[in-house]
Amino acid sequence: MKLLLILSPGVVTTISKLTKMCVLRLTPDNLFFVLSGKVANGGVSMWCELSQANFFDEYQMEGVSSEDNEICLEVTPENLSRALKTVQNAKTVKVKLTKKHCPCLTIAAELPTMSSINRVVTHDVPVDVIPRRLWHEFKEPNMPDFDVSIYLPPLKTIKNVVDRMKNLSNFLVMEANLNGEMNLKIETDLVSVTTHFKDLGNPPWGDDASQDGGPSQSRDPEAMAQARVDIRKLQQFLVGQQVNPSKAMCNIVHERVVHLILLHEDVSLQYFIPAVA
Amino acid sequence: MPLSTQSQADDEQYVLVASLDNARCLSNILKAITFKDHAIFSATPNGLKVTVEDSKCLQANAFIQAEIFQEFTIREDLVGFQVNLTVLLDCLNIFGGSTVPGVSTALRMCYRGYGYPLTLFLEEGGVVTVCKINTQEPEEPIDFEFCSTNVTNKVILLSESLKEAFSELDMTSEVLQITMSPSQPYFRLSTFGNSGNAHYDYPKDSDMMELFRCTKTQTNRYKMSLLKPSTKALALSCKVSVRTDSRGFLSLQYLVRNDDGQICFVEFYCCPDEEVE
Amino acid sequence: MDCVVTGGNVKVLAKAIHSLSRIGDELYVEPQEDGLSLRSVNSSRSAYACFLFAPLFFSRYTIPSGHTFRCKMAIKSVQAVFRSLASLEKTVEKCDIVLDEQKNRLTFTLHCKHGLLKTHNLSFQDSESLQAVFDKDSYANVFRSHPRLLVDTVVHFPPSLEEVTVSVSDERMWVRNHVEEEDQSKAMLTELCLASDEFDHFAVRIHNSVTFCLKELRGLLVFAESTGLPISMYFDEPGSPVVLSVTDSVLEGNFVLATLSDDPNHRKNNSRRALTPPPPADDFMNDDIDSYLIAMDTSMAPGPSATGPPTPPLADSTCSKQPAAANNRTRLHSEEEEEEDDTADSSKPPNKKFCSLFFGSVIPPSPQMSTQPVTNQEVLASDSEDDV
Repeated sequence: MKLLLILSPGVVTTISKLTKMCVLRLTPDNLFFVLSGKVANGGVSMWCELSQANFFDEYQMEGVSSEDNEICLEVTPENLSRALKTVQNAKTVKVKLTKKHCPCLTIAAELPTMSSINRVVTHDVPVDVIPRRLWHEFKEPNMPDFDVSIYLPPLKTIKNVVDRMKNLSNFLVMEANLNGEMNLKIETDLVSVTTHFKDLGNPPWGDDASQDGGPSQSRDPEAMAQARVDIRKLQQFLVGQQVNPSKAMCNIVHERVVHLILLHEDVSLQYFIPAVA
Repeated sequence: MPLSTQSQADDEQYVLVASLDNARCLSNILKAITFKDHAIFSATPNGLKVTVEDSKCLQANAFIQAEIFQEFTIREDLVGFQVNLTVLLDCLNIFGGSTVPGVSTALRMCYRGYGYPLTLFLEEGGVVTVCKINTQEPEEPIDFEFCSTNVTNKVILLSESLKEAFSELDMTSEVLQITMSPSQPYFRLSTFGNSGNAHYDYPKDSDMMELFRCTKTQTNRYKMSLLKPSTKALALSCKVSVRTDSRGFLSLQYLVRNDDGQICFVEFYCCPDEEVE
Repeated sequence: MDCVVTGGNVKVLAKAIHSLSRIGDELYVEPQEDGLSLRSVNSSRSAYACFLFAPLFFSRYTIPSGHTFRCKMAIKSVQAVFRSLASLEKTVEKCDIVLDEQKNRLTFTLHCKHGLLKTHNLSFQDSESLQAVFDKDSYANVFRSHPRLLVDTVVHFPPSLEEVTVSVSDERMWVRNHVEEEDQSKAMLTELCLASDEFDHFAVRIHNSVTFCLKELRGLLVFAESTGLPISMYFDEPGSPVVLSVTDSVLEGNFVLATLSDDPNHRKNNSRRALTPPPPADDFMNDDIDSYLIAMDTSMAPGPSATGPPTPPLADSTCSKQPAAANNRTRLHSEEEEEEDDTADSSKPPNKKFCSLFFGSVIPPSPQMSTQPVTNQEVLASDSEDDV
């Protein structure tokens, strides 16, 4: 297996806020950060896709074999993020899969300096190479058969509201309809709070959106689909978002799951939060 | 549900309706007295008084005059209720309490009477939040019988000069001792901590001293734990009046200027520490 | 003692105290003929720092003639005097420092803007002299740079990182995080390579590596950066302390940090070490000998009184520097550890790897406590007092 890439740091910080460990899957065209919903993560899943062509000036990879041309690694995004942060002002950054004391992603950067000789920093981030028999666990999750899909308001606004609601309650109800309305609600012995968003718009999903062609045409536009979620999981998702994505969407499967999608330049991030009773 | 479309008929059910273009004018001043959850609200046609007490030794009052509000309608001479102040503050800041000029949260606060919740309508950038906070019957605030005719010593200082002293207070000292005297040291704050003692002396002719009217040398000690909460009010204020009466009771009055340049008052009463003469 | 500090020097003094607080919990104060000395040592005695402010640093400097006086106090309480570091320059016009031996009181009086007078009366304890004896000028490798270079270097390492390893060749310096052997498989390794021409001075006589604590270096950087003074670094063999210095015409600061002994062999010796019996329980000296990096002398209780035969520090270094033995020592010597804790309030357990520069002087004279034999001092350090 060979991997050499020159990386402009970015997305990894966001991912490091979401999870301690995740899987980095590399194919000739894409990179994926994957978290598959295990009980330990509270059932949360994540799928982040980066198109390599837009991130790297140079990208060489060679997988296990020509038909399975992939590399699958377990990484600690926080380590990656820290390494990439310290090389933010670097003239060049190279990321390479290396065999050191253990398999490592080695990040080497040339830092700007007055000296004629470059100041070089290297970070060896240990990784676990995931054997092929386990790859099936890290495939792209299916688009859920959602009841309502809606564009999200500015994430900063949601974050402010969710942060305050977190002070008041552990669970939050997210509800939305096909009329572009979304509510965030909490209710406790002391207080009930509802934040109403409107005119958000509903994304026009094509035929491939779900097996039966997206939300049924017959659904009452006023009818709310709702899911009660652990506020911390929603907070975790919001805390990592440092830039406003060009598109942010939310799909709700009534009382089952909240599926959040962010699209920004050439990154897409999907995040699944299971509903609780 | 925008705030402006509240119908006249709706308003008539309420004994108290108060509106603010900028909820921070209220939340800021309430923050200054948030050291216990329970707050007693007393509204009269003159405005709103909010009282918080601690262990019968400390009382804080925030006064927000009726003129501060864009609308202040009261249908009884006195409307009183008790709410959880921490919850109220989270609600008032639901949109993050932005300090960015031009971005503010509009507030409409309504109360129907005994047994009803305090209802807040908050709006920022077209997003509306409705909060219903449970209320209780108000307790009777303690009367500290602090009367201006019994005031022995009084100084008015620019808050700036006290802020530094309070931020540096030796918290290992159980008490803060205040000496006020017509002769040296005029106005002295002392602490007695683990590693020694400290005295902060303010001369009477300092340009930080706006008024100096001391008639008799008085040295009193106050529990640090009781005075520490007043630091929040100090931080917000521009001037502070320090008074002691013949019994050694302490009154601290803070003049607070809000975002719009209007003036509110926060006042603390504190009993002297009994163990010391 | 009665001295006065004015203007920008108040901040320099405050920053020095602040950086000393990164070393230990106590501040040792000693007014000397050649200036005011402020020192600190950490609880495991693997780090020592000293600032000397020359009489010219002060606008008045008078000390009692005829006898020496020393005291120590909680460094936190002195830090509290200068709590508002950021506003210090704007608010404080003058600082008086008066030592009242009769009342056991050190008084700091800050004369601030608008006539505000802040008086801090701090109580203190008598103390013996705390002095590291080292001869940095004899060290093989010497470097000097603007603090910015080191600041830009340590920024690559997480704040939680404890130790770094510095290696040098004729043209290069490498700085990398030190990782315990048992943690190595999962640890992230970071290495920075600096070219010699990034330094103002770069003189290497021995190609080697030393490992020392980053925390104290960060402490000195806070001081050096705010004063803009270049930092000099001196080091020699692994096991000898690294010395970091800042100097100008009116002050000198030296940070003396233990280094791990014999780092390159650290790994392969490990299995052997586990079998080595711990040093005798009554020999307080011996177990420290390997990592003994700074000889400390005491002017109160001089003279050799070691209970065990001093082992030549380098000759037998592999048999006693291992974590296993250090652990044993901690257990076997619990009495002594307690004694140490009495004098140097240790908020954290002693650092086992560096396990102590040996400072007889900071421990109250006690029959169980051996002071450093003179012969030993001469092995690793000269007895010149470069720090003062």
